Amino acid sequence: MLNPRESVRTLLLFAAVAGSLLLLLGRAIDAHAVLKESRPAANSSVAGPDVPIMLRYNERINSKLSKLQLLNPDNSTTDLKIEEQTSADTLNAKATGLKPGAYRIRWQVLAPDGHITRGEVPFTVTGS
Amino acid sequence: MVQLISMFGILVVLLRAAILCLQTVAAGGTVFLTVVARRKEERSDALLNSSWNLIRRSAVGLALAQLLFVVANSFVLVYSTGIPLAAVLGADFIWAAVLAMAGAVALACWPEAWRRTGNLLCIVPAAMMVAASVATSHAASRMEGRGLLVTLTSLHYIATASWLGGLPYLLLAAKRISNDQARKETLRRFSLLAQVSVAVLFLAGFGMSCVYVGSWDALYGTAYGVMLGAKISLSLVLLLLGAANYFIVRGISTDTGTPGTKSLLRFGEAEIGIGLSVILAATSMTSQPPSVDMAQDRVSVREIVERFAPRMPRLSSPGVKEISPTMDVLLKRAAAEGKAVPSTFVPGRTGFNTNTPADKAWSEYNHNCAGLVVFLMGILALLSRSRYFSWAKIWPLAFLLLALFLFFRADPESWPMGTNGFWESLAVADVLQHRAAVVLIVVFAIFQYRVETQRVKSAAAALVFPGVCAIGGLVLLTHTHALVNVKDELLVELSHTPLAVLGILAGWSRWLELRLPQENATRKYLAWVWPACFILVGLILMDYHEG
Repeated sequence: MLNPRESVRTLLLFAAVAGSLLLLLGRAIDAHAVLKESRPAANSSVAGPDVPIMLRYNERINSKLSKLQLLNPDNSTTDLKIEEQTSADTLNAKATGLKPGAYRIRWQVLAPDGHITRGEVPFTVTGS
Repeated sequence: MVQLISMFGILVVLLRAAILCLQTVAAGGTVFLTVVARRKEERSDALLNSSWNLIRRSAVGLALAQLLFVVANSFVLVYSTGIPLAAVLGADFIWAAVLAMAGAVALACWPEAWRRTGNLLCIVPAAMMVAASVATSHAASRMEGRGLLVTLTSLHYIATASWLGGLPYLLLAAKRISNDQARKETLRRFSLLAQVSVAVLFLAGFGMSCVYVGSWDALYGTAYGVMLGAKISLSLVLLLLGAANYFIVRGISTDTGTPGTKSLLRFGEAEIGIGLSVILAATSMTSQPPSVDMAQDRVSVREIVERFAPRMPRLSSPGVKEISPTMDVLLKRAAAEGKAVPSTFVPGRTGFNTNTPADKAWSEYNHNCAGLVVFLMGILALLSRSRYFSWAKIWPLAFLLLALFLFFRADPESWPMGTNGFWESLAVADVLQHRAAVVLIVVFAIFQYRVETQRVKSAAAALVFPGVCAIGGLVLLTHTHALVNVKDELLVELSHTPLAVLGILAGWSRWLELRLPQENATRKYLAWVWPACFILVGLILMDYHEG
């Protein structure tokens, strides 16, 4: 018969080693990121010319390996500098000098498990 | 780049599937050799050699799959973000892959002396592989309840490795342990371990589902929930097979040549096959956001009832000129006219809207007619079980109708229906793929017809059909995952996921019917299961509609 004590000990050892290694990995790793909230909100109108941008996801994301771009009304793009993360699930940036018109925030984020997700947030800038 | 990332999404699912399967087999081997086959008389040279061979191969495969994943992902990241490779190399997913690779290499190179003694240390590299997988799961990335979810996910993976990962070694033990009593004891001990593992697996799975799915409406209303449903259905079939093995083990004779032992081996084969399907479904789930995060665009019961309400199949199709041109034609036309192609950024979306009512009607007609053919095939296969309808063994020839249908309908813009000439159309990758599929289906129809009518008598040849069914079901299961949780995609997925599950069941029930010993009474029931699966597939396809 299965020796319960020996078996439990082995499986506990297995679990303990796996658990310790997880702790050693430190910052953990994400799966598919989904945009939960954004400022400006999708299809909203905001006053320019400076627009703070905040994108909050369902899970942690790696800000250093993520990218934010602004698609301008003339179809040109501007790279946005991602600020230091205040929360592991949030990206912050600031778009400056925006003229009135229709813009899109293009985001590409890396969930630390290696999944890359992309999306867009359309918004309109009105005069200040 | 968008196409590259979309393709990469599919590659990631395939690599993750390979990683989870190989990890389960490698870790399962270490658990089997340290927990189940512990005693000296059970650790025969034949068992140890074949078991460590399998562990080594799985570990090497795992290391290669991890390496490929790291290389592909790093390439896409560097290319899409412009971030230097050195910065990408510090990413967390790379550290997790390195940990898994280190564990895999350690297992592959495990010292011969330690293999003989059953040194418990081999649990360490196995745990490294499992830890890497948990670290790249949903659990580790949640903002809340992370500790609990990591614990549940770890238990889920360990139990999967102990049960499903141990199955190949159980089959090896049944064949390779020459001492009758030792073999019997090993099988009984594995049966006990499997029972404990199943309990842990289901409890941990239930706990995770409560957090990730959260509500009943998310179970049928989101892509993650639908895949969880497929996983649960296949797991219940696995439990049935496990129960069959449990009763066999209880009354097993010590002789390897008895029907009991043979049945155990055959049920074990099907358990491994369906177990791998469950792991693939799990992989597909790891690449989708949990249901609880997808509060919008959920499908309601009313929408499901409306979509799946029985109705007559569509037997008339719009003409070729009424449907939208393919993306390839639109791109060529735009380029010729010097027009800018609408830009796309979000994977899964296109710059053109090509889903007009005529397009939907075209697609419905295709599905409904294919359903009629599959339904006919199922009825004929069912009749062929009876000696009064032996002529019905011609059922594989119905595949020829499917091939003919695919030939005419898959590429309406190409010869013989459309304006693209025969040779010109072969230059388009999609058309070439469809034409190759037509040839394969014709060859398969003739081959299976010869098998059914005993013109080909090889036992291996008979296994081609169940293998094709099971693999086809698997491909459909992993293929049907929505990148964005749009209702229409979900409703299509709701009809395609049962088709995938039925395909897998048809394959493995036919496999068992062919492989179980004549004395096993289950065979005569299984002979009805797979034709019934075909009939159900036909009915679902006949009822398919898109609006």
